[in-house]
Amino acid sequence: MRHDWLAAAGRRIYLALVAAFIAAPLIVVAGVSLNATRRMRFPPDALGLGWYAAFFGDPQWMEALRASLLIAALAALLAVVVALPLAYAAWRYRSRGARVLAGVGSMVFLLPAVVTAVMFSAFWSAVAHVGHLENVAISHAAMFLGIPLSLLAAGFSSIDPVLLEAARTLGAREADAVRMVVRPAMTPYLICALAYVFVLSLNEYLVAYLVAGFSVPTLPIRIFTNLRTGYEPTMCVAAVLFMAVGFCTFGLIARLGDLPRLMGRQRPLRD
Amino acid sequence: MTDGAAASGAAGRGRGLALVLALPGAFLAAFCVTPVLLLVQISLAHRDAGAFWSAGLELTQYRQLADPVFLRVAAFSLSLAAATALLTVGCAFPAAYFISRMRRRAQVAWLVFLLGALSLSETLIVFAFQVLLSSGGVLVKALLGLGLIDTPRALYPNLAALLACLVYLALPYVILFLYPAVSQLDEEMPQAAATLGASPLGAFLRVTTPILRGPLLTAAALVAVFTVSSYLAALVLGRPEQWTVGVRLSNTALDAGDMPLAAAQAVALVAVLALLAAGVRGLGRARRTP
Repeated sequence: MRHDWLAAAGRRIYLALVAAFIAAPLIVVAGVSLNATRRMRFPPDALGLGWYAAFFGDPQWMEALRASLLIAALAALLAVVVALPLAYAAWRYRSRGARVLAGVGSMVFLLPAVVTAVMFSAFWSAVAHVGHLENVAISHAAMFLGIPLSLLAAGFSSIDPVLLEAARTLGAREADAVRMVVRPAMTPYLICALAYVFVLSLNEYLVAYLVAGFSVPTLPIRIFTNLRTGYEPTMCVAAVLFMAVGFCTFGLIARLGDLPRLMGRQRPLRD
Repeated sequence: MTDGAAASGAAGRGRGLALVLALPGAFLAAFCVTPVLLLVQISLAHRDAGAFWSAGLELTQYRQLADPVFLRVAAFSLSLAAATALLTVGCAFPAAYFISRMRRRAQVAWLVFLLGALSLSETLIVFAFQVLLSSGGVLVKALLGLGLIDTPRALYPNLAALLACLVYLALPYVILFLYPAVSQLDEEMPQAAATLGASPLGAFLRVTTPILRGPLLTAAALVAVFTVSSYLAALVLGRPEQWTVGVRLSNTALDAGDMPLAAAQAVALVAVLALLAAGVRGLGRARRTP
């Protein structure tokens, strides 16, 4: 019994340390963004929302925000549109071709980001289509394709074949079976895949930088150039904005679907 | 479950399948396969003046890789990646295990927290580390207060700052990667070990860890792949002698404008990583089926 108590305490302390490690830089940046002065101080000397006003009033930051959101939305949509038929064919028809294609699609995700960046910068200049927003969106879609592929494959394999069989026995046509059984089961996985690619694309900077860094400065690219040239307090506001988008997106997914299951837990979980 | 599909006729099925796969196939061919092949081709091309190259089949760039400076950078990157992988997996494994044993609400909160942290841009995290480690930062103040340092000075650039940041970048990924495998574990095994007199730690190390050798090794390999080419963290938080192969590679492409050499460096890097990954896989298999 004494062992149990000790183990539980050790577990809590360990997880608290891990949480503190992950949270510390985020808390510091959020704190600095509330500074009333220009200085990079934590805890802030005096509080103020001045940098938030400066951020949202700066046309350059707003332009970067718009470009980032547009690229992320396009990349998410494109990646899911490409991944969905592959995952469906691999599951429904047990197609070997679809599985090979899915393997090819996951390949780019496993390349180091620097290699991907050099590769796409060479690719877009070879096709003589340099410096456009859609280049970044397509490159991101190809780069993050592995995520919707594996999430959607997991989603399809979670569908109970008995349900499909039952729908057919009761006289449902293929389209009806898909509508009644497949669609509701897949919705949370689709949303999760979209959100995952969206958030990752929103935060990616190296590929975006090498592909169209000078003509389409996204938020991470602006932060990156500022990092090299010097501190600007509005950077902290951008950081807080990113954190808010990330945590809200995944918080929303947790409300809509069974997050432990989406993340690959198969055993039922007690409340 | 494919009975229905089989009944609808092989020809119809084939045509339907081709239709379904046409769009993804075209996308993959254009934007996944072509860029990779192009990269390989450029690595073998002939370099012209400036940032240009013309089609060719020569090994000039690959010969240039034998440059001792580049080899030293590559060796440093690999050992940095190995250290990061070891540290990250060592921290992440117990965390994933404990999280998977929590109540649902706590687990969901942790997953949202980890997914949020994982999605943060490397630029932001490096910037946050800069603020945290700066000479006016909270950490320096704490060290001054404890009397561990006498004068306020920035705690970067150095190897420790770089390593901490690299572990930070990989940690949420690895916890989430191990989460499915860890949550599948039987409660009975460690309990049985405990009944036989093992301490919780002993049971964890001798019963739980060997079962998960495969996922643990894969996780370590993934961290190594992501770390070996880390760019911004090394650039900002490391000293120039700690710049990784990633910094080197993008400098070759951007500053020197030598695309063929950058391509050759990229191809060589991926080849080394693929070999390492295959080795790790082999290790996981060999140990699991004695």
